[in-house]
Amino acid sequence: MTGRDSEVWLRPPLATLLTAILLIACAEVGGASMVRFKLELTRWARSVMLAHPAVHGLVGVRDVDEQAVDEALVKFDAALRLFHLHAEGMGLVIIATTMTAATLAGSDGARRALIALLTVGGAGYPFGYLLWGALIPYVGIQTGKTIAEWLVWIPFGSATIVAAWWLAALVGARLVRRP
Amino acid sequence: MRRPPLVVVFVSLLVIALGETAGAAISQLRPQIVRYAQARVAANPQAHGLAGSAEYDTEITARAVYSAEAGLSFFHTHAQGLGPLALFASTVAASVVPWRRARGVLYALFSIGACFPLGYLAYSIAALEWGRDAGIEAAERFVLTPLGSAAIVGLVALAALMVAGRLRRRTG
Repeated sequence: MTGRDSEVWLRPPLATLLTAILLIACAEVGGASMVRFKLELTRWARSVMLAHPAVHGLVGVRDVDEQAVDEALVKFDAALRLFHLHAEGMGLVIIATTMTAATLAGSDGARRALIALLTVGGAGYPFGYLLWGALIPYVGIQTGKTIAEWLVWIPFGSATIVAAWWLAALVGARLVRRP
Repeated sequence: MRRPPLVVVFVSLLVIALGETAGAAISQLRPQIVRYAQARVAANPQAHGLAGSAEYDTEITARAVYSAEAGLSFFHTHAQGLGPLALFASTVAASVVPWRRARGVLYALFSIGACFPLGYLAYSIAALEWGRDAGIEAAERFVLTPLGSAAIVGLVALAALMVAGRLRRRTG
């Protein structure tokens, strides 16, 4: 039974499944670590922020500085939570979409390209949130976000978006052409 | 595992693609989205109870814009979850439910349920157009609840049909 005619799901490559499962495992470990090491993570982030006062606009006045540090800590925590959330979601998205591509993509070339884009894009994207979280104490909220955007979110996110629409269009076209 | 009908696969993929695109839009077009939301609140002063007092109106506008942004964010995250869920649940239905009509009903319920995240788009728009509280209430009652209920009913029915199918195999 070929991919085009299959009425059963065809398995995507093992490397893709392994990537998705590892991503979900990373998400779960990340979520558990956020709870287990919350205090240590907060202490670390605070100490790095205090070591980079200019980056965070710290002026040496406790009332002013605490507000700036608290805001950065909230974003630091949010970045870790978003990693957890997106890695869980993208793991499932990778499995669902690559399974569909393996089964329904018309040609070998399209199938390979779709699976590669969905796997690499989906697996890489959530790590942008980890990068952002790690960068916040060193370079600040906005600079960290810009770096994560250009290094991770835009390239990996674009790969996923392009592939998801491509796959939806392929399946939509098959739906329309169906006798 | 058997593949569900193409239409179910298509709806799931469409929801995933829309959700991913919404995530990018929230990130890259945030200033434009906020400006649009502020303009819509200003265009509907009665619905939002704007009083003409700058301080009060700013607070009300900020809350409505926050709700609209939250709706977009919920749309993005729920689409990542509901798209695959509809696909996987339909696959289980296709593979283990022996009754054709029952499978058809499940496919319909999962396809409708997969559209649940779109309810959060309605939530965002309604919060801006009809006022924050009235808009959210309307979106929850008329869009989110029916779509979410379809997914819940589908999952419960799938579980029940799996048990029924197993009993049938044992007795048959």
